[in-house]
Amino acid sequence: MFPEFVDTRPLRRAVDDALNWVVANWGGAFEAAARPLLGLLNAIQFALLATPWWVIIALVTLAAWLATRQWKLPAIVFAALIFLGVMDLWEDAMITTALMIAATLTAIVVSIPVGVWMSRSLRVRQVITPILDLMQTLPSFVYLIPTVMIFGPGKIPALLATIVYAAPPLVRLTDLGLRSVDPAVIEASRAFGANPGQRLLGVQIPLALPTILAGINQTTMMALAMVVIASMIGAGGLGYQVLQGIGRLEVSRGLFAGLGIVVLAIIFDRVTQSFGKQLQARIGLQEVRI
Amino acid sequence: MKHFWKGTLAAAIIGFAAASMPVQAADETVCGTDRSIDIAEMSWPSAAALARIHAFILENGYGCDVEVVSGDTVPTSSSMLSRGSPAIAPELWTSSIEKQWTEAINEGKVVKLSDAITDGTLEGWFIPRYVQEAHPDLKSVAGVIAHPELFPDPEDPTKGRLYSCPPGWACEISTSALFEAYDMAEAGWNLFSPGSGGALDASIARAFLRNEPILFYYWGPTSILGKYDAVPLDMGPVDAEIYACNTNPDCDQPARKTAYPSSPAIVGAAAWVPEEAPVVADYFAKVGLTNDEISALLVYGDENKADAAATAENFLRERKDVWTTWVPDDVAAKVEASLG
Repeated sequence: MFPEFVDTRPLRRAVDDALNWVVANWGGAFEAAARPLLGLLNAIQFALLATPWWVIIALVTLAAWLATRQWKLPAIVFAALIFLGVMDLWEDAMITTALMIAATLTAIVVSIPVGVWMSRSLRVRQVITPILDLMQTLPSFVYLIPTVMIFGPGKIPALLATIVYAAPPLVRLTDLGLRSVDPAVIEASRAFGANPGQRLLGVQIPLALPTILAGINQTTMMALAMVVIASMIGAGGLGYQVLQGIGRLEVSRGLFAGLGIVVLAIIFDRVTQSFGKQLQARIGLQEVRI
Repeated sequence: MKHFWKGTLAAAIIGFAAASMPVQAADETVCGTDRSIDIAEMSWPSAAALARIHAFILENGYGCDVEVVSGDTVPTSSSMLSRGSPAIAPELWTSSIEKQWTEAINEGKVVKLSDAITDGTLEGWFIPRYVQEAHPDLKSVAGVIAHPELFPDPEDPTKGRLYSCPPGWACEISTSALFEAYDMAEAGWNLFSPGSGGALDASIARAFLRNEPILFYYWGPTSILGKYDAVPLDMGPVDAEIYACNTNPDCDQPARKTAYPSSPAIVGAAAWVPEEAPVVADYFAKVGLTNDEISALLVYGDENKADAAATAENFLRERKDVWTTWVPDDVAAKVEASLG
């Protein structure tokens, strides 16, 4: 066994004491700072729960049709939503969707600027990449329990944990998308006298948009993957049903709620992907026109 | 690891020496068997520490050949029933395995040597002592339910919040039933599920660190109850029948009020132990601890980041007044000598 060079207990105790100190002195401040996020989540959840189910089914099916202009995807989406309703999972599915949408929106607001920053500086990239690796690989419970202590249990730590896990792919893909824009195009825009702001917003981001959209798609999927973990700290929703099913050995309950998560994932994945493809096609046309 | 090998070696030599000598009848200070005594170290901290304490005393005090094996309620008890090994389970909660356990006792496969927790296990609803001191009328569940405004739900501040049990645990069903029986939703309360044991602990720790009010379900002996000064609420008398109905999803009567029954935690042993090693069985007949003693033990482990073995050693050093009453004087002297 590895010889013991130093006694690590004082270090561990110091970390624990520091956390306790933060909780005792700053817990209220942190909770208040996270209130806007909670407000966003609660507003989305309220809107989803207040809207009649048939309106939601109609809107999402319509979105699927607009994205593909074919009958196949709308039919799948319609069947999937009916499944959620029939299996008595509607309310839980809406709670989960609200968490996912709130996490994705926050992730977009944070990740795209970070991705842009990374694409413009090698040094920033060197610093941020290991942080992203850490966010994606650190076992969630390691930071979940301290987050619960700092922010109080419930939706806030669940939302934060989901964002931490779901944001990295969007940052990476934004960076990648911006870097892979053809240098000749940038050169041309520079020759036409575009300033850096115009180059970014008018040339780079539109050309990188398919990649960025793939990033957003990944973020929604990752957010859904965190649903069960988020329920372990009091977020409710479909993940909670899964936990109850596992805990009581009610395989059926766990299975149906798990399938509910899959159904949500399929809906969001297919619809956003189809929109992405449509957009890509449109940008391709524009390029031809130029 | 080194220490462990030395111990086993010493025990083996002593065991060999004892076996080669003529059998000494009724000597209370030697192990009396050369069969290896395997003690189950359960996955939760109190049982793990108890296993280590008993292993240390049996090994160093009585010179038994002791082995600590890891276990959990169901696998350990079923292995005891079928194979007589592990020999000893120092903290076995029999309520979840009641049927098999009673049958096995009747068939003479296992025995109960004593109660591991002498004053019974604790389960119920708790509030911090500082809240009760500020509001002396908060003694019973009914008293607390009348004041939801004292325990506000951060996500819905007009209501009170009761921290329930993690999903899937038996206590989740019983706590939800009581929430219903007390009409707490009508009285302005939300039943909050923390989602997991870790999250429940973290919520309690947060409230105590910040001196905030909290109403929560918990059970003892645990390091949480040892570390934080929480008072149990008076839940009235226990009615086993109501409790059984409340926790049975198939029972169609409406939920009614009852306290949580205390579940027995015993020292269980395979039947060969009292037959072949009466000294060991006699030792275990005296080893019960109270809730407070076990909680204090766990707090030491928690605060010093000590593992079960280190926690046990500290107990043996600090609580001589307790464990020396379990053993004859010269055994106690031998244990103390090996503590160093």
